[in-house]
Amino acid sequence: MKRLFRTCLLASAMAAGLGLSGPALAADGPGNDDLLNDAKSTGDVLTYGMGPQAQRFSPLDKLNPDTVKGLVPVWSFSFGGEKQRGQESQPLIHDGTIYVTGSYSRLYAVDVKTGQKKWQYDHRLPEGIMPCCDVVNRGAALYKDKIYFATLDARLVALNKDTGKVVWSKKIEDYKAGYSATAAPLIVDGKVITGNSGGEFGIIGMVEARDAETGELVWQRPTIEGNMGTLNGKDSTMTGVMNASWSGDLYKTGGGATWLGGTYDPETKTLFFGTGNPAPWNSHLRPGDNLYTSSTLAIDPANGDIKWHYQTTPHDGWDFDGVNELVSFDLKKDGQTIKAGAKADRNGFFYVLDRTNGKLLSASPFVTKITWAKEIDVKTGRPVYNDDNRPGTPVGAEKGTSVFAAPAFLGAKNWMPMAYSPATELFYVPANEWGMDIWNEPITYKKGAAYLGAGFTIKPLYDDYIGALRAIDPKTGKIVWEYKNPAPLWGGVLTTGGNLVFTGTPEGYLKAFDAKSGKEVWKFNTGSGVVGSPVTWEQDGEQYVAVVSGWGGAVPLWGGDVAKLVKDINQGGSLWVFKLPKA
Amino acid sequence: MNRHLAAAALLAALSSPVYAGPPDPADPLASVMWDVLRPELFGTAPVQFDDRVTVTAPDNAENAAAVPVMADATALGAVEEMVLFADLNPFPVILRFQPLAAKPVIATRFKVQQATPLRAAARTPDGVWHIGGKLLDAAGGGCTAPPATYAAADWADHVGEVQGRAWAPTGEDKATRVRFLVRHPMDTGLVAGIPAYFIEALTLRDADGRALARLQTAEPLSENPGFTLEVQPAAGARSLTLDGRDNQGGEVKAAIPLPWVQGALP
Repeated sequence: MKRLFRTCLLASAMAAGLGLSGPALAADGPGNDDLLNDAKSTGDVLTYGMGPQAQRFSPLDKLNPDTVKGLVPVWSFSFGGEKQRGQESQPLIHDGTIYVTGSYSRLYAVDVKTGQKKWQYDHRLPEGIMPCCDVVNRGAALYKDKIYFATLDARLVALNKDTGKVVWSKKIEDYKAGYSATAAPLIVDGKVITGNSGGEFGIIGMVEARDAETGELVWQRPTIEGNMGTLNGKDSTMTGVMNASWSGDLYKTGGGATWLGGTYDPETKTLFFGTGNPAPWNSHLRPGDNLYTSSTLAIDPANGDIKWHYQTTPHDGWDFDGVNELVSFDLKKDGQTIKAGAKADRNGFFYVLDRTNGKLLSASPFVTKITWAKEIDVKTGRPVYNDDNRPGTPVGAEKGTSVFAAPAFLGAKNWMPMAYSPATELFYVPANEWGMDIWNEPITYKKGAAYLGAGFTIKPLYDDYIGALRAIDPKTGKIVWEYKNPAPLWGGVLTTGGNLVFTGTPEGYLKAFDAKSGKEVWKFNTGSGVVGSPVTWEQDGEQYVAVVSGWGGAVPLWGGDVAKLVKDINQGGSLWVFKLPKA
Repeated sequence: MNRHLAAAALLAALSSPVYAGPPDPADPLASVMWDVLRPELFGTAPVQFDDRVTVTAPDNAENAAAVPVMADATALGAVEEMVLFADLNPFPVILRFQPLAAKPVIATRFKVQQATPLRAAARTPDGVWHIGGKLLDAAGGGCTAPPATYAAADWADHVGEVQGRAWAPTGEDKATRVRFLVRHPMDTGLVAGIPAYFIEALTLRDADGRALARLQTAEPLSENPGFTLEVQPAAGARSLTLDGRDNQGGEVKAAIPLPWVQGALP
């Protein structure tokens, strides 16, 4: 005993004196295989999209249209502070901890059983950040002992997942030039892959891969034709061909922000990144297709080379943006299984592509009114434009002819991710029915200033609803069922093997629907608008559901006539966890 | 759990109160916080109140956001680590300092929240902490007022910048005096709406990368904190380097020339 005591004395004296050394070794976190297997593992949620393909499908079936009435809240966690605004995050669940990001670049680790906070990281944002569409963050990425998230001042931060201590912080780009970052990073083969935001400021869209351990840049792939990529610190290949679809120097300010991040298909070993609108909005200033804006890029994760591209809106003149996620899935059609990918584009069409080569298989409207194009020609893969629906060119200092176009620039579907159920073989798409008056104005580029050259105002198309959750059959493009919501839908969708579809509404509800019939079978009001993405997992034999609550996002800021419909929705900032208790 | 933590936990489980050695001497500053800070900072290590450790600071703080202080333990001889702390600050520890190839003396500035004992503790190689200190009177509020830095719209552009200077060695021990300032708001996290944002580690190195002095810095240091150290670089070194980081992953990196050495200045 005496000997032990002396040892202890010495040891704790050393501990007290060792203030300068690091913390105890962190527990191993999820590895690459765990991330790739996330769609199948039901005890955790390790990736944004609930699997690298981002189907947002869980095979769990304890909750179903009959049992869901027993789904009850377990706890709620407040994001605190004076900072609220939009909460567009998707929680991650690993080893007894929920990791969730909040507005204003905050990250929380919360005990999954009790709702007690483990740690919190508040990023110190400089004055003068320029997020276009609210101070949101969409989620974090887990890999080994670290958790990663991007910040509004365009940085990527890696933290120890157990302590919340910053391991490294890297600048993605200069926030003063209009760059920011809101998307969840994607981890593939030990690399953290990110996009960037700032498409309203004449930035250059970029996909970047960093070493997950050190944060050192591995490759960069600019999205605008004529810009040079890099690999291991050296120039690699040029994106496209200089001046092929951009005249003069316009490619240096061409936009094409990859602001929603990307998805990954392990079967074809391909990254899919959507690219945003070309800059400026005024399309008469930039003749040509403006590659690769408003497109989906298939990228090799090893070196950043572009495998193929598919442009949904060539020469975009409506801010249709093409950033929406491409979800990989097996298309079972005519006795064949095709490696396909689907994308519900801002421009109103639901595209099904062959994800091995980018060839268009079908494109069908998923909203009731599309004015800018008659259809998408499946042979050429290009839209058949209605030329008179392109806003006119400004004459001198006067604005150009205004047109009424649908969808509105906030999109038939905006950032909010859809879900695909391999069980029902349906996509569940959070859509919005709105149009806009849009006109062009003269504009010149100025660093850090909005680079639009357009004016606009959004109008609802119908008196009784704007939002519409639609079940779409990718084989036919037909809408199988729909749920209409008064306010625009702005949250992600989750579907389960229990034949359920979950999504949130600005009115504050998390709702569940029968995945086959669309019948609403459960709802719970969280106290503020739900614009985040719900997740589900299993723990101690019970099925859990979590979602963040907190109204905000682009609608109250850019919604024009719609903004007044939602102006009385109170802000919030909390994480809600529900479960179906054992009988 | 590492070995030290395990041992400490075992000890805590075995006996309470934690410290079971000979009774501590009475705190000469009669601080109400002493019983709390003693186990927190020194665990079960023996402590002595020792006049050989001096703390020089004003009797009354003129500016609660930047109180100058110098802690000097050179009279002890070899010192492995020093801790500077203010008992009644919301974060008592101001900094920890390992004088690896440096004299156990350090000067800096810190924020004070209310009148408090201000102390320096120095650990000698025998594991004993020698503690000196004084009372500091202050109107207070230094830790809960936003830094003046934020009056400048471009403050974020300058975070981590360093101004430094070294003086030619003097005296018998040929120590080189080095002073450096690092631009940083040093936010405590106690001001509503402003997250904690402060430098947490600084290392001053010799030309060959060998650490001369390590600092673990904390919230109470004043904004744009300055430090004065006396270090012993290798003969012929043309410059020292300073590296460090803040709690948000921001990096500090600077070279401080030793201009009396031939070729040190470009």
